Amino acid sequence: MKKYLPLVAALVLSSGSVAAASFEDAFNAERALHGKGHTFTFEGKEYTTDHPEELEAAAEATEANAKALIASAKAKHKEVKAVGYDWTLTKGILKSANKALKAGKFQEAMNLAAQAKYHARMGIRQAQRSAEDWVIMVPGS
Amino acid sequence: MKIITSLLAGASLALVASMSSAASTGNTLATVDPEADRLALQAFFQKRFPQVELDDYANGIYALDAASRAQWEEMEEFPPYEFDIEAGEEMFNTPFANGKSYADCFENGGMGIRQNFPYWSDEQDRVVTLELAINQCREANGEKKLKAKKGAIAQISAYMASTSAGNIIDVKIPNDKAKAAYLDGKAQFYSRRGQLNMSCANCHVQGVNIPIRADRTSATLGHVTHFPVFRSKWGELGTLHRRFGGCQNNVRGTPLKAQGKEYSNLEFFMTYMSNGLEVNGPGSRK
Repeated sequence: MKKYLPLVAALVLSSGSVAAASFEDAFNAERALHGKGHTFTFEGKEYTTDHPEELEAAAEATEANAKALIASAKAKHKEVKAVGYDWTLTKGILKSANKALKAGKFQEAMNLAAQAKYHARMGIRQAQRSAEDWVIMVPGS
Repeated sequence: MKIITSLLAGASLALVASMSSAASTGNTLATVDPEADRLALQAFFQKRFPQVELDDYANGIYALDAASRAQWEEMEEFPPYEFDIEAGEEMFNTPFANGKSYADCFENGGMGIRQNFPYWSDEQDRVVTLELAINQCREANGEKKLKAKKGAIAQISAYMASTSAGNIIDVKIPNDKAKAAYLDGKAQFYSRRGQLNMSCANCHVQGVNIPIRADRTSATLGHVTHFPVFRSKWGELGTLHRRFGGCQNNVRGTPLKAQGKEYSNLEFFMTYMSNGLEVNGPGSRK
């Protein structure tokens, strides 16, 4: 029996580390597997794989809602630019959102604004993660 | 039970060891050791490409890829940057409106000094690159700043680099403020950016000499030695910060400001990594 103990211990240790995965990791894994609109359980609670921005874009497609979502996407874009982690496509997507708004295509405007806001939020998250773990990229670390 | 205890003890030791290893690469002002970083990076490349002489890293990807090297050597028979050096020399020697010239701003009249740039300035509380110093010289003499990425500034820088050919890069980190700038540059080099979530290191440390479509990425060791560079893709000369912006754009990240503190700190880190290599700028690349 003794000879199996290391194996058992290794399995226990490794399964423990899986169980300790963060919500962010769990969400990303479920999203990658199922796309949006899927329901999953994490630590006993139910969640969907929708990004918060997609939920915002699911609101009624009105001029007011489109304007509000574009404004909040622009604010988030400003935030990511301030930390230097802006992505190249975001500015153009916001421009397209404004164009759609002017053309009265409110749902399209909201979808584009949601995409831009998501980019900006991910850029900010990337900045935070980089600050935390850039050192693991160094050879030998 | 003894086995489990020893396993746990072993796991703890491994964790501590990995933490101390991470700490030994230096990610705080207290732990960062530029010279240890430089030697570790050299050792990394020497282990990975044992056939490559250390000095040859100054030739970028041409140190690693024989086919590309043959093309490059042919191109260097009639260097595409030759006229730029001449234009740079003419501008360097043309007096400003006040009668002074670039030579008055630099040590040794600006000749043979490329290897000392960038340097830390306590007075300015920042890293000073050669291109920044060229513009500061102009402003101090009542002239307008030049654009930071290409054109005249790259030509003047190319001329100054050409007078330094063969000199050994010798960037110094004189105090803690300089070390903080170096650490910031190091963090930037290893930080993932852009929608493709890639760091400089992904291509220029881990991904070196791996084909990306028709090209292979070069090692970061020796990256700075040949700047400013004539890139075939640009069809003209450009500065190192122009290249940084291009790389960042390639991973779908919005480029930062040329000659801003971020890119200057990145240049400081990268140049320190190449300490001991020869200046061979300007150079030509694909």
